[in-house]
Amino acid sequence: MRSPYSEQEVIVLDNVSKRYFLHPQRMGELKTALLHLPTFLKASRARQPFWALRDVSLTIRRGESVGIIGPNGAGKSTLLRIVSRLAPLTKGKLTVRGRVSPLLELGAGFHPQISGRENAVLNAVLLGLSRKEAEEKLEEMADFSELGGFFDQPMRTYSSGMYVRLGFAVAVHVKPEILLVDEVLAVGDAEFQRKCFAHIEKLRQDKVTIVLVSHDVDSVKRFCDRAVLLNHGAIAAEGRPREVVDEYLSRHFEFSGAPTGRDDS
Amino acid sequence: MATASIASRPDLWERLKLTQMARTWELLLLLTAREVKLRYQGTVLGLLWTLAKPLLLGLVFSFALSYVLRVKVTDAPYVLFLLSALFPWTWFQSSIQTSAGSFSNNAALLKKVYFPRFVLPLSAVTSQLFHFVLSIPILVLLLVAKGYHPGPEWLLGVPLLIAIQLLLLAGPVLLVASLNVFLRDLEHLVEVLMTLWLYLTPILYPLALVEKRLGPVVHLNPMASLIEAWRDLFLYDQLPGTDIWPALVFAAVALVAGSIAFKALEGQFEVAL
Repeated sequence: MRSPYSEQEVIVLDNVSKRYFLHPQRMGELKTALLHLPTFLKASRARQPFWALRDVSLTIRRGESVGIIGPNGAGKSTLLRIVSRLAPLTKGKLTVRGRVSPLLELGAGFHPQISGRENAVLNAVLLGLSRKEAEEKLEEMADFSELGGFFDQPMRTYSSGMYVRLGFAVAVHVKPEILLVDEVLAVGDAEFQRKCFAHIEKLRQDKVTIVLVSHDVDSVKRFCDRAVLLNHGAIAAEGRPREVVDEYLSRHFEFSGAPTGRDDS
Repeated sequence: MATASIASRPDLWERLKLTQMARTWELLLLLTAREVKLRYQGTVLGLLWTLAKPLLLGLVFSFALSYVLRVKVTDAPYVLFLLSALFPWTWFQSSIQTSAGSFSNNAALLKKVYFPRFVLPLSAVTSQLFHFVLSIPILVLLLVAKGYHPGPEWLLGVPLLIAIQLLLLAGPVLLVASLNVFLRDLEHLVEVLMTLWLYLTPILYPLALVEKRLGPVVHLNPMASLIEAWRDLFLYDQLPGTDIWPALVFAAVALVAGSIAFKALEGQFEVAL
Protein backbone atom coordinates (compact mmCIF):
# COMPACT_ATOMS: atom_id res chain seq x y z
CA MET A 1 0.00 0.00 0.00
CA ARG A 2 1.30 3.43 -0.91
CA SER A 3 0.79 6.43 1.30
CA PRO A 4 1.03 9.95 -0.15
CA TYR A 5 4.25 10.33 1.82
CA SER A 6 5.95 7.59 -0.18
CA GLU A 7 5.24 9.61 -3.29
CA GLN A 8 7.36 12.43 -1.93
CA GLU A 9 10.02 13.75 -4.24
CA VAL A 10 13.30 13.19 -2.41
CA ILE A 11 15.80 14.22 -5.08
CA VAL A 12 14.94 16.99 -7.49
CA LEU A 13 17.46 18.24 -10.01
CA ASP A 14 16.22 21.26 -11.86
CA ASN A 15 18.33 22.17 -14.90
CA VAL A 16 21.53 21.29 -13.12
CA SER A 17 24.79 22.01 -14.90
CA LYS A 18 28.31 21.39 -13.71
CA ARG A 19 31.35 23.03 -15.19
CA TYR A 20 34.93 22.06 -14.58
CA PHE A 21 37.98 23.84 -15.84
CA LEU A 22 40.85 22.06 -17.51
CA HIS A 23 44.02 23.84 -16.57
CA PRO A 24 46.94 23.72 -18.98
CA GLN A 25 49.33 23.74 -16.03
CA ARG A 26 48.71 23.44 -12.33
CA MET A 27 50.23 25.98 -9.99
CA GLY A 28 50.00 24.07 -6.76
CA GLU A 29 52.83 25.78 -5.00
CA LEU A 30 53.26 29.27 -3.72
CA LYS A 31 56.82 29.29 -5.03
CA THR A 32 55.86 28.15 -8.51
CA ALA A 33 52.98 30.60 -8.62
CA LEU A 34 55.15 33.54 -7.58
CA LEU A 35 58.13 32.67 -9.78
CA HIS A 36 55.89 32.30 -12.80
CA LEU A 37 53.43 35.02 -11.98
CA PRO A 38 52.82 36.13 -15.59
CA THR A 39 52.26 32.52 -16.70
CA PHE A 40 50.12 31.92 -13.64
CA LEU A 41 47.81 34.80 -14.43
CA LYS A 42 47.68 33.86 -18.10
CA ALA A 43 47.00 30.25 -17.22
CA SER A 44 44.00 31.11 -15.12
CA ARG A 45 42.58 32.95 -18.12
CA ALA A 46 43.48 30.25 -20.62
CA ARG A 47 41.62 27.55 -18.74
CA GLN A 48 39.24 25.47 -20.79
CA PRO A 49 35.69 25.05 -19.57
CA PHE A 50 34.32 21.53 -19.62
CA TRP A 51 30.68 20.86 -18.94
CA ALA A 52 30.37 17.57 -17.07
CA LEU A 53 26.59 17.99 -16.82
CA ARG A 54 24.34 20.15 -18.94
CA ASP A 55 20.79 21.09 -17.92
CA VAL A 56 20.00 17.83 -16.24
CA SER A 57 16.48 17.67 -14.80
CA LEU A 58 15.54 14.60 -12.87
CA THR A 59 13.04 13.82 -10.13
CA ILE A 60 13.42 10.79 -7.91
CA ARG A 61 10.65 9.80 -5.51
CA ARG A 62 10.91 8.14 -2.17
CA GLY A 63 11.47 4.40 -2.42
CA GLU A 64 12.40 4.44 -6.07
CA SER A 65 15.58 2.84 -7.26
CA VAL A 66 17.08 4.49 -10.27
CA GLY A 67 19.99 3.26 -12.35
CA ILE A 68 22.28 5.69 -14.12
CA ILE A 69 24.09 4.26 -17.11
CA GLY A 70 26.23 5.70 -19.85
CA PRO A 71 29.68 5.51 -21.38
CA ASN A 72 32.83 6.67 -19.58
CA GLY A 73 32.87 10.41 -19.03
CA ALA A 74 29.13 10.78 -19.51
CA GLY A 75 28.79 12.49 -16.12
CA LYS A 76 27.41 9.59 -14.08
CA SER A 77 29.76 10.00 -11.16
CA THR A 78 29.52 13.78 -11.30
CA LEU A 79 25.78 13.42 -10.90
CA LEU A 80 26.21 11.29 -7.78
CA ARG A 81 28.80 13.68 -6.37
CA ILE A 82 26.40 16.58 -6.86
CA VAL A 83 23.54 14.77 -5.12
CA SER A 84 25.83 13.89 -2.20
CA ARG A 85 26.94 17.56 -2.04
CA LEU A 86 30.57 16.64 -2.62
CA ALA A 87 30.57 18.78 -5.72
CA PRO A 88 28.87 22.17 -5.80
CA LEU A 89 26.78 22.75 -8.89
CA THR A 90 27.48 25.53 -11.35
CA LYS A 91 23.92 26.28 -12.47
CA GLY A 92 20.46 25.09 -11.60
CA LYS A 93 18.78 23.93 -8.43
CA LEU A 94 19.09 20.81 -6.35
CA THR A 95 16.77 19.68 -3.56
CA VAL A 96 17.56 16.63 -1.47
CA ARG A 97 15.25 15.46 1.32
CA GLY A 98 16.66 12.91 3.73
CA ARG A 99 19.93 11.45 4.88
CA VAL A 100 22.24 10.63 2.00
CA SER A 101 24.63 7.75 2.37
CA PRO A 102 27.13 7.66 -0.45
CA LEU A 103 28.69 4.31 -1.26
CA LEU A 104 31.51 5.95 -3.17
CA GLU A 105 35.14 4.90 -2.91
CA LEU A 106 34.37 2.67 0.03
CA GLY A 107 36.71 2.90 2.95
CA ALA A 108 38.55 5.92 1.55
CA GLY A 109 37.81 7.90 4.70
CA PHE A 110 39.32 5.36 7.05
CA HIS A 111 42.50 6.13 8.91
CA PRO A 112 45.01 3.25 8.80
CA GLN A 113 46.46 3.90 12.27
CA ILE A 114 43.30 3.38 14.30
CA SER A 115 41.18 0.28 14.69
CA GLY A 116 38.27 -0.77 12.54
CA ARG A 117 35.94 -0.16 15.47
CA GLU A 118 37.07 3.45 15.94
CA ASN A 119 36.96 4.10 12.21
CA ALA A 120 33.47 2.64 12.03
CA VAL A 121 32.16 5.00 14.74
CA LEU A 122 33.80 8.06 13.22
CA ASN A 123 32.55 7.23 9.73
CA ALA A 124 29.03 6.50 10.91
CA VAL A 125 28.96 9.91 12.61
CA LEU A 126 30.37 11.48 9.44
CA LEU A 127 27.51 9.85 7.53
CA GLY A 128 24.98 11.42 9.86
CA LEU A 129 24.36 9.15 12.84
CA SER A 130 24.69 10.37 16.38
CA ARG A 131 27.51 8.85 18.37
CA LYS A 132 25.08 6.82 20.46
CA GLU A 133 23.32 5.41 17.39
CA ALA A 134 26.69 4.59 15.87
CA GLU A 135 27.80 2.68 18.94
CA GLU A 136 24.54 0.75 19.01
CA LYS A 137 25.11 -0.35 15.42
CA LEU A 138 28.71 -1.42 16.02
CA GLU A 139 28.05 -5.10 16.60
CA GLU A 140 25.89 -5.35 13.51
CA MET A 141 28.64 -3.72 11.48
CA ALA A 142 31.23 -6.07 12.93
CA ASP A 143 29.11 -9.09 12.07
CA PHE A 144 28.28 -7.90 8.61
CA SER A 145 31.90 -7.14 7.70
CA GLU A 146 33.05 -10.62 8.86
CA LEU A 147 36.25 -9.12 10.25
CA GLY A 148 36.33 -11.21 13.42
CA GLY A 149 39.31 -10.31 15.59
CA PHE A 150 40.55 -7.80 13.03
CA PHE A 151 37.76 -5.41 14.00
CA ASP A 152 39.87 -4.19 16.91
CA GLN A 153 43.15 -4.14 15.00
CA PRO A 154 44.57 -1.01 13.34
CA MET A 155 43.29 -0.83 9.79
CA ARG A 156 46.79 -0.83 8.30
CA THR A 157 46.78 -4.57 8.97
CA TYR A 158 43.69 -5.02 6.74
CA SER A 159 43.64 -6.40 3.23
CA SER A 160 41.94 -4.22 0.62
CA GLY A 161 38.97 -6.57 0.69
CA MET A 162 38.60 -6.09 4.43
CA TYR A 163 38.71 -2.31 3.98
CA VAL A 164 35.89 -2.43 1.50
CA ARG A 165 33.86 -4.85 3.57
CA LEU A 166 33.98 -2.56 6.58
CA GLY A 167 33.23 0.45 4.37
CA PHE A 168 30.17 -1.27 3.00
CA ALA A 169 29.07 -2.41 6.44
CA VAL A 170 29.21 1.16 7.78
CA ALA A 171 27.49 2.70 4.77
CA VAL A 172 24.50 0.34 4.82
CA HIS A 173 24.04 0.41 8.58
CA VAL A 174 23.60 4.15 8.96
CA LYS A 175 19.88 3.89 8.23
CA PRO A 176 20.22 5.70 4.92
CA GLU A 177 17.16 7.33 3.43
CA ILE A 178 18.92 7.76 0.13
CA LEU A 179 21.67 5.33 -0.87
CA LEU A 180 24.03 6.32 -3.64
CA VAL A 181 25.93 3.39 -5.10
CA ASP A 182 28.81 3.94 -7.48
CA GLU A 183 30.34 0.85 -9.06
CA VAL A 184 31.18 -0.70 -5.71
CA LEU A 185 29.28 -3.91 -6.03
CA ALA A 186 32.09 -5.60 -7.90
CA VAL A 187 34.12 -5.95 -4.72
CA GLY A 188 34.82 -8.79 -2.35
CA ASP A 189 34.37 -12.46 -3.04
CA ALA A 190 31.26 -13.94 -4.58
CA GLU A 191 29.77 -14.71 -1.21
CA PHE A 192 30.19 -11.16 0.07
CA GLN A 193 28.80 -9.74 -3.15
CA ARG A 194 25.73 -11.91 -2.76
CA LYS A 195 25.35 -10.55 0.75
CA CYS A 196 25.64 -6.95 -0.43
CA PHE A 197 23.01 -7.49 -3.12
CA ALA A 198 20.73 -9.14 -0.61
CA HIS A 199 21.17 -6.18 1.74
CA ILE A 200 20.48 -3.64 -0.96
CA GLU A 201 17.39 -5.61 -1.91
CA LYS A 202 16.28 -5.45 1.72
CA LEU A 203 16.86 -1.68 1.87
CA ARG A 204 14.81 -1.38 -1.30
CA GLN A 205 11.93 -3.19 0.31
CA ASP A 206 12.25 -0.83 3.29
CA LYS A 207 11.55 2.03 0.86
CA VAL A 208 15.08 3.38 0.86
CA THR A 209 15.69 5.45 -2.25
CA ILE A 210 18.57 4.04 -4.26
CA VAL A 211 20.58 5.64 -7.03
CA LEU A 212 22.88 3.14 -8.69
CA VAL A 213 25.63 4.07 -11.12
CA SER A 214 26.96 1.13 -13.02
CA HIS A 215 28.58 -0.16 -16.14
CA ASP A 216 26.99 -3.46 -15.32
CA VAL A 217 23.71 -3.22 -17.16
CA ASP A 218 22.52 -6.49 -15.67
CA SER A 219 22.49 -5.14 -12.13
CA VAL A 220 20.61 -2.08 -13.36
CA LYS A 221 17.98 -4.31 -14.95
CA ARG A 222 17.82 -6.38 -11.81
CA PHE A 223 17.64 -3.68 -9.16
CA CYS A 224 16.11 -0.61 -10.70
CA ASP A 225 12.60 0.57 -11.30
CA ARG A 226 13.83 3.18 -13.70
CA ALA A 227 16.98 3.85 -15.68
CA VAL A 228 18.56 7.04 -16.97
CA LEU A 229 21.03 7.09 -19.82
CA LEU A 230 23.55 9.89 -19.69
CA ASN A 231 25.62 10.94 -22.66
CA HIS A 232 27.99 13.89 -22.77
CA GLY A 233 26.53 15.24 -19.56
CA ALA A 234 22.93 15.27 -20.74
CA ILE A 235 20.05 12.84 -20.33
CA ALA A 236 19.76 10.87 -23.56
CA ALA A 237 17.05 8.46 -22.51
CA GLU A 238 14.95 7.72 -19.47
CA GLY A 239 12.40 5.06 -18.68
CA ARG A 240 12.03 1.35 -18.00
CA PRO A 241 15.42 -0.27 -17.33
CA ARG A 242 15.16 -2.88 -20.09
CA GLU A 243 14.37 -0.28 -22.77
CA VAL A 244 17.00 2.21 -21.65
CA VAL A 245 19.64 -0.50 -21.43
CA ASP A 246 18.78 -1.65 -24.95
CA GLU A 247 19.02 1.91 -26.14
CA TYR A 248 22.41 2.25 -24.49
CA LEU A 249 23.71 -0.98 -25.94
CA SER A 250 22.52 -0.17 -29.43
CA ARG A 251 23.98 3.32 -29.25
CA HIS A 252 27.37 2.40 -27.97
CA PHE A 253 27.93 -1.19 -28.94
CA GLU A 254 26.98 -2.55 -32.29
CA PHE A 255 26.04 -6.01 -31.09
CA SER A 256 23.18 -6.47 -33.49
CA GLY A 257 25.20 -5.07 -36.34
CA ALA A 258 22.32 -2.74 -37.10
CA PRO A 259 23.46 0.75 -38.00
CA THR A 260 22.22 3.15 -35.38
CA GLY A 261 23.39 6.36 -36.96
CA ARG A 262 23.09 8.07 -33.62
CA ASP A 263 26.44 7.19 -32.12
CA ASP A 264 28.05 10.53 -31.52
CA SER A 265 30.71 9.44 -29.10
CA MET B 1 21.62 31.04 -9.48
CA ALA B 2 23.02 27.79 -8.15
CA THR B 3 21.28 26.65 -5.04
CA ALA B 4 21.22 23.46 -3.08
CA SER B 5 18.99 22.77 -0.15
CA ILE B 6 18.81 19.85 2.17
CA ALA B 7 15.71 19.81 4.31
CA SER B 8 13.31 17.49 5.96
CA ARG B 9 9.69 18.54 6.35
CA PRO B 10 9.59 22.31 6.95
CA ASP B 11 8.09 22.03 10.44
CA LEU B 12 11.06 19.91 11.46
CA TRP B 13 13.53 22.51 10.31
CA GLU B 14 14.27 23.86 13.78
CA ARG B 15 14.79 20.41 15.25
CA LEU B 16 16.97 19.46 12.32
CA LYS B 17 19.19 22.45 12.93
CA LEU B 18 19.62 21.40 16.55
CA THR B 19 20.52 17.80 15.70
CA GLN B 20 22.88 19.18 13.07
CA MET B 21 24.63 21.22 15.75
CA ALA B 22 24.78 18.24 18.10
CA ARG B 23 26.24 16.12 15.31
CA THR B 24 28.87 18.75 14.50
CA TRP B 25 29.83 18.87 18.14
CA GLU B 26 30.15 15.06 18.36
CA LEU B 27 32.18 15.04 15.19
CA LEU B 28 34.53 17.63 16.66
CA LEU B 29 35.00 15.53 19.81
CA LEU B 30 35.63 12.32 17.85
CA LEU B 31 38.12 14.00 15.53
CA THR B 32 39.91 15.58 18.49
CA ALA B 33 40.17 12.21 20.21
CA ARG B 34 41.52 10.70 17.00
CA GLU B 35 44.17 13.41 16.60
CA VAL B 36 45.31 13.02 20.19
CA LYS B 37 45.44 9.27 19.82
CA LEU B 38 47.30 9.31 16.51
CA ARG B 39 49.87 11.59 17.98
CA TYR B 40 51.04 9.01 20.49
CA GLN B 41 50.87 5.85 18.49
CA GLY B 42 54.20 4.12 18.23
CA THR B 43 55.96 6.46 20.63
CA VAL B 44 57.52 5.06 23.78
CA LEU B 45 56.97 8.06 26.02
CA GLY B 46 53.58 8.78 24.53
CA LEU B 47 51.84 11.79 26.00
CA LEU B 48 55.01 12.87 27.79
CA TRP B 49 56.51 14.10 24.53
CA THR B 50 54.02 16.91 24.06
CA LEU B 51 54.57 18.04 27.62
CA ALA B 52 58.33 17.66 27.45
CA LYS B 53 58.75 19.67 24.25
CA PRO B 54 57.67 23.13 25.46
CA LEU B 55 59.27 22.41 28.82
CA LEU B 56 62.63 21.59 27.25
CA LEU B 57 62.37 24.60 24.95
CA GLY B 58 61.67 26.73 27.99
CA LEU B 59 64.68 25.35 29.83
CA VAL B 60 66.94 26.08 26.84
CA PHE B 61 65.66 29.66 26.63
CA SER B 62 66.06 30.10 30.38
CA PHE B 63 69.58 28.77 30.29
CA ALA B 64 70.60 31.02 27.39
CA LEU B 65 68.92 34.20 28.57
CA SER B 66 68.95 33.95 32.30
CA TYR B 67 72.14 32.00 33.02
CA VAL B 68 74.41 32.89 30.07
CA LEU B 69 73.23 36.41 29.23
CA ARG B 70 72.09 37.12 32.78
CA VAL B 71 68.93 38.91 31.68
CA LYS B 72 66.95 40.18 34.64
CA VAL B 73 63.44 41.10 33.57
CA THR B 74 61.16 40.81 36.54
CA ASP B 75 61.12 39.92 40.16
CA ALA B 76 59.73 36.48 39.28
CA PRO B 77 62.18 33.66 38.53
CA TYR B 78 62.87 33.78 34.81
CA VAL B 79 61.88 30.19 34.15
CA LEU B 80 58.40 30.80 35.58
CA PHE B 81 58.11 34.13 33.81
CA LEU B 82 58.94 32.35 30.55
CA LEU B 83 56.89 29.16 30.90
CA SER B 84 53.73 30.98 31.97
CA ALA B 85 53.77 32.60 28.53
CA LEU B 86 55.39 29.82 26.50
CA PHE B 87 52.78 27.16 27.32
CA PRO B 88 49.78 29.13 26.01
CA TRP B 89 51.91 30.28 23.07
CA THR B 90 52.75 26.67 22.21
CA TRP B 91 49.02 25.93 22.01
CA PHE B 92 48.60 28.90 19.66
CA GLN B 93 51.57 28.13 17.43
CA SER B 94 51.05 24.37 17.10
CA SER B 95 47.32 24.85 16.40
CA ILE B 96 48.04 27.10 13.45
CA GLN B 97 50.86 24.90 12.18
CA THR B 98 48.97 21.61 12.35
CA SER B 99 45.77 23.12 10.99
CA ALA B 100 47.56 24.00 7.75
CA GLY B 101 47.26 20.37 6.68
CA SER B 102 43.72 19.88 8.02
CA PHE B 103 42.11 19.89 4.59
CA SER B 104 45.02 18.92 2.37
CA ASN B 105 45.92 15.85 4.45
CA ASN B 106 42.32 14.65 4.61
CA ALA B 107 41.63 14.63 0.89
CA ALA B 108 40.24 11.07 0.95
CA LEU B 109 37.73 11.95 3.64
CA LEU B 110 36.68 15.25 2.05
CA LYS B 111 36.12 13.57 -1.29
CA LYS B 112 34.02 10.80 0.13
CA VAL B 113 31.53 12.26 2.55
CA TYR B 114 29.89 15.61 2.96
CA PHE B 115 30.06 16.90 6.51
CA PRO B 116 30.63 20.30 8.11
CA ARG B 117 34.21 20.55 7.02
CA PHE B 118 35.21 23.41 9.29
CA VAL B 119 35.41 20.88 12.13
CA LEU B 120 38.71 19.60 10.69
CA PRO B 121 40.84 22.70 11.38
CA LEU B 122 38.94 23.25 14.61
CA SER B 123 39.87 19.74 15.74
CA ALA B 124 43.53 20.72 15.30
CA VAL B 125 42.91 23.57 17.75
CA THR B 126 41.04 21.44 20.28
CA SER B 127 43.56 18.61 20.26
CA GLN B 128 46.32 21.13 20.94
CA LEU B 129 44.13 22.62 23.66
CA PHE B 130 44.04 19.17 25.25
CA HIS B 131 47.85 19.21 25.45
CA PHE B 132 47.88 22.74 26.82
CA VAL B 133 45.45 21.81 29.59
CA LEU B 134 47.69 18.88 30.50
CA SER B 135 50.68 21.20 30.74
CA ILE B 136 49.01 23.44 33.34
CA PRO B 137 49.69 21.02 36.27
CA ILE B 138 53.41 21.13 35.39
CA LEU B 139 53.31 24.89 35.68
CA VAL B 140 51.47 24.61 38.99
CA LEU B 141 54.15 22.25 40.33
CA LEU B 142 56.92 24.66 39.34
CA LEU B 143 55.04 27.63 40.79
CA VAL B 144 54.48 25.86 44.11
CA ALA B 145 58.13 24.77 44.20
CA LYS B 146 59.17 28.44 43.93
CA GLY B 147 56.74 29.56 46.62
CA TYR B 148 53.85 30.77 44.42
CA HIS B 149 50.32 29.72 45.25
CA PRO B 150 47.69 29.57 42.49
CA GLY B 151 44.60 31.39 43.76
CA PRO B 152 40.86 30.87 43.21
CA GLU B 153 41.04 33.44 40.37
CA TRP B 154 42.35 30.60 38.19
CA LEU B 155 38.95 28.92 38.24
CA LEU B 156 37.45 31.83 36.33
CA GLY B 157 40.56 33.10 34.57
CA VAL B 158 41.74 29.88 32.92
CA PRO B 159 38.40 29.04 31.22
CA LEU B 160 37.94 32.68 30.24
CA LEU B 161 41.36 32.97 28.60
CA ILE B 162 40.94 29.57 26.95
CA ALA B 163 37.66 30.81 25.46
CA ILE B 164 39.30 33.98 24.18
CA GLN B 165 42.21 32.08 22.68
CA LEU B 166 39.83 29.54 21.05
CA LEU B 167 37.97 32.41 19.48
CA LEU B 168 41.20 34.01 18.38
CA LEU B 169 42.40 30.78 16.75
CA ALA B 170 39.17 29.95 14.88
CA GLY B 171 39.61 32.52 12.11
CA PRO B 172 43.31 32.01 11.39
CA VAL B 173 43.08 28.19 11.26
CA LEU B 174 40.14 28.31 8.83
CA LEU B 175 42.06 30.72 6.62
CA VAL B 176 45.37 28.83 6.70
CA ALA B 177 43.78 25.41 6.19
CA SER B 178 41.66 26.64 3.26
CA LEU B 179 44.51 28.44 1.50
CA ASN B 180 46.87 25.51 1.98
CA VAL B 181 44.65 23.37 -0.26
CA PHE B 182 45.62 25.58 -3.17
CA LEU B 183 49.13 26.60 -2.16
CA ARG B 184 50.60 23.53 -0.56
CA ASP B 185 53.83 25.12 0.58
CA LEU B 186 52.00 27.71 2.61
CA GLU B 187 52.58 25.50 5.66
CA HIS B 188 56.33 26.07 5.41
CA LEU B 189 55.84 29.82 5.19
CA VAL B 190 53.49 29.63 8.18
CA GLU B 191 56.15 27.83 10.18
CA VAL B 192 58.68 30.59 9.55
CA LEU B 193 56.14 33.32 10.28
CA MET B 194 55.13 31.68 13.54
CA THR B 195 58.75 31.61 14.75
CA LEU B 196 58.99 35.29 13.88
CA TRP B 197 55.73 35.98 15.71
CA LEU B 198 57.10 34.18 18.77
CA TYR B 199 59.95 36.68 19.04
CA LEU B 200 57.63 39.64 18.34
CA THR B 201 55.39 38.62 21.22
CA PRO B 202 56.35 39.38 24.82
CA ILE B 203 57.21 35.80 25.77
CA LEU B 204 60.96 35.98 26.37
CA TYR B 205 60.61 39.55 27.64
CA PRO B 206 57.88 41.60 29.34
CA LEU B 207 55.55 43.80 27.30
CA ALA B 208 56.58 46.86 29.30
CA LEU B 209 60.13 46.56 27.98
CA VAL B 210 59.12 47.16 24.36
CA GLU B 211 56.18 49.38 25.16
CA LYS B 212 58.55 52.00 26.56
CA ARG B 213 60.57 52.08 23.35
CA LEU B 214 57.97 51.38 20.67
CA GLY B 215 54.88 52.94 22.21
CA PRO B 216 51.31 51.82 21.52
CA VAL B 217 52.38 50.02 18.32
CA VAL B 218 52.97 46.90 20.41
CA HIS B 219 49.22 46.57 20.92
CA LEU B 220 48.82 45.81 17.22
CA ASN B 221 50.02 42.32 18.07
CA PRO B 222 46.87 40.64 19.36
CA MET B 223 48.90 37.92 21.03
CA ALA B 224 50.78 40.50 23.15
CA SER B 225 47.72 41.36 25.23
CA LEU B 226 46.62 37.75 25.49
CA ILE B 227 50.02 36.43 26.53
CA GLU B 228 50.34 39.20 29.12
CA ALA B 229 46.93 38.22 30.47
CA TRP B 230 47.99 34.58 30.79
CA ARG B 231 51.14 35.62 32.61
CA ASP B 232 49.30 37.94 34.98
CA LEU B 233 46.95 35.11 35.81
CA PHE B 234 49.55 32.38 36.26
CA LEU B 235 52.09 34.47 38.19
CA TYR B 236 50.02 37.05 40.03
CA ASP B 237 46.49 35.53 40.11
CA GLN B 238 45.18 38.56 38.22
CA LEU B 239 42.04 38.25 36.11
CA PRO B 240 42.18 39.72 32.59
CA GLY B 241 41.07 43.35 32.36
CA THR B 242 40.05 45.68 29.57
CA ASP B 243 43.55 45.73 28.07
CA ILE B 244 42.69 42.38 26.46
CA TRP B 245 40.77 44.29 23.71
CA PRO B 246 43.35 43.87 20.91
CA ALA B 247 42.92 40.08 21.14
CA LEU B 248 39.13 40.37 20.99
CA VAL B 249 39.16 42.77 18.05
CA PHE B 250 41.59 40.57 16.15
CA ALA B 251 39.54 37.46 16.96
CA ALA B 252 36.37 39.04 15.54
CA VAL B 253 38.05 40.32 12.37
CA ALA B 254 39.92 37.07 11.78
CA LEU B 255 36.78 35.00 12.30
CA VAL B 256 34.92 36.99 9.66
CA ALA B 257 37.87 36.84 7.25
CA GLY B 258 38.45 33.15 7.87
CA SER B 259 34.78 32.28 7.38
CA ILE B 260 34.57 34.26 4.16
CA ALA B 261 37.73 32.62 2.81
CA PHE B 262 36.50 29.18 3.78
CA LYS B 263 33.06 29.70 2.22
CA ALA B 264 34.60 31.02 -0.96
CA LEU B 265 37.23 28.31 -1.32
CA GLU B 266 35.28 25.28 -0.07
CA GLY B 267 33.54 24.87 -3.43
CA GLN B 268 36.90 24.49 -5.13
CA PHE B 269 38.21 21.81 -2.75
CA GLU B 270 36.89 18.96 -4.89
CA VAL B 271 39.05 20.04 -7.85
CA ALA B 272 42.15 21.08 -5.91
CA LEU B 273 42.43 18.17 -3.50
